[in-house]
Amino acid sequence: MKTLFLKDMRYRQTRVVLTALSITVLISLILLLGGIMNGMRIQARQYVESTGADIWISAEGSGGAFIGFSMVVEEYMAFLNSARGLTPNSASPLVFAQARPTVRGKSTKAIVVGYKLGQLGGPKQVIAGEGKMFTPSNFEDYRPEDPVPYEVVVDEKMGLEIGEQITLGNEKVKVVGKAESRMFVLDTPLLFMDVRIAQKLLLGNTPHVNMMIAKTDKNEQPGQVSAGLDALETIEARTLKQTLGDIIAYYVDEPMKAVQFLRVMLWLVAGTLIGMITYVTMLEKTQEIGVLKAIGGSNNYVMGLILKQVVLISAVGVILGLILSYVFAAAAPIFVAIHFVESIIVACISFVVCCGSGYLAARKAITVDPMIAFRGEI
Amino acid sequence: MAAIVEGIGLTKRFGTGDATVVAVDAVDIRIEESELVMLMGDSGCGKTTLISLLGCILTPDDGELRIDGEPIDPVNQDLSVVRHEKIGFVFQLFHLLPYLTALENVMVAMDIARTKTDEAESRATELLTQVGLIDRLHHRPAQLSGGEKQRVSFARALANRPKIIFADEPTANLDSRQSDNLMNLIQELRREYQTTIAIVTHHEGLKENADRVIQMKDGRIVPA
Repeated sequence: MKTLFLKDMRYRQTRVVLTALSITVLISLILLLGGIMNGMRIQARQYVESTGADIWISAEGSGGAFIGFSMVVEEYMAFLNSARGLTPNSASPLVFAQARPTVRGKSTKAIVVGYKLGQLGGPKQVIAGEGKMFTPSNFEDYRPEDPVPYEVVVDEKMGLEIGEQITLGNEKVKVVGKAESRMFVLDTPLLFMDVRIAQKLLLGNTPHVNMMIAKTDKNEQPGQVSAGLDALETIEARTLKQTLGDIIAYYVDEPMKAVQFLRVMLWLVAGTLIGMITYVTMLEKTQEIGVLKAIGGSNNYVMGLILKQVVLISAVGVILGLILSYVFAAAAPIFVAIHFVESIIVACISFVVCCGSGYLAARKAITVDPMIAFRGEI
Repeated sequence: MAAIVEGIGLTKRFGTGDATVVAVDAVDIRIEESELVMLMGDSGCGKTTLISLLGCILTPDDGELRIDGEPIDPVNQDLSVVRHEKIGFVFQLFHLLPYLTALENVMVAMDIARTKTDEAESRATELLTQVGLIDRLHHRPAQLSGGEKQRVSFARALANRPKIIFADEPTANLDSRQSDNLMNLIQELRREYQTTIAIVTHHEGLKENADRVIQMKDGRIVPA
């Protein structure tokens, strides 16, 4: 009679199926939320890493690269281009600003990356045969009167054609090239343009940028170079690692705190659900349990019958949840990265939570008085 | 004759303080091997409490209990082992598990006693054949009549070859024909398996089947 618990489950199949399905959905949601956050972290990293910069510089008190604004002052540029530890003339201004361009009549979201052509910060790869790069501004220093055509290199996944126009800051900007897709957080496409155009369209034609980026000399340690620059009172310098930490904290971890909380809550819901259903089932089965005890079933026997059900329902729910999360991830409209090891850990924790909760409820069963067998109907 | 069950000074109280009810009051009882005993009395006189004490479902507040000559120690002994090794129960409302067939309902008692499945199936089939349900082995309780359910219930009680079967109002939910059939079956099973049977009943008409009638009143045994 090793299948006694299965027969009971088959008898109550609607409840069993609904419980397992509820756990499935909850576990897949927990994994999916984790996958969305992973995806955001990956997307937050990939542009930063693709720039090839080692040092990220912003004005002291600006809040840091990617967050605040710094003035491009000629003296700073001159200083950075000859600063000790940095590759000569590698320092380059960079605008990295959220924008809402109108594409084919529809307002959409994008990140405008304004940089100096040929310097750090540009697209990793421009697709061959898909247009060209934008026309660069003529002068190294800031000259608002410098006429530069409004041109942009767009992400290939935006579906725009070369020669099409998008509207940005009330100005028409011509698509001149396509870059290999490298989306930012939440599948936000990057629009690459000359730093001067970015300043004109998004920053009111002021000499502001978000940061300066630079490379260190081959023999220099970025950490030491960064610390040396940071010691200067007017600038903040960060290494790639620090910048990645900043950008992930700013764009992913802080905004997603509520989602993290939600994930924990979903775990609690999954645990509570199976605990509650096991408890209700116990109440319903009180008479049966009383009979089993009256005819000699020990507490362990009764507990075993119930725990086998709890374990099986939890296992099925968790495994299906695991599978479903990958299906959801593939169908999701944004980039979702569910890591296998992480998903196994989440599945194990969820399984333990469900079984633990089921066990607590099942303890009710062993307190049933076998005298109950002399009363009422099953 | 050897006593299968012997209770000395068995007492069971429920409630506390002024609300205390003495359900069984210093009862001395002895049931001999192969005896068919009827336990009779008005509702609330303590019959079910007494068989619950004798069947190791309740523990007495006072008194001693011996089953098959061995003293029962409710504090240090696992009573569930005593129940499945030495005692069989038949309940008024049958209490068959609704998700199991008749065969499986009998087998479950042997599953509790860790009997191998093959052996349990063979014995359950034999018992159900004995109680006339050979063609109902794979029917669930919902597909059986009241009389058939009670037969399955007796087969389950006999499954682990108990020393004694306690039956609580086994005919209360049966019509008179089913009731007569059941009593005939009980007599038959008793002859076949030499099992001691104690039946709690209100049904005066069943008295004639008993070797002995124990009359209870207000928690005490009184002359029949």
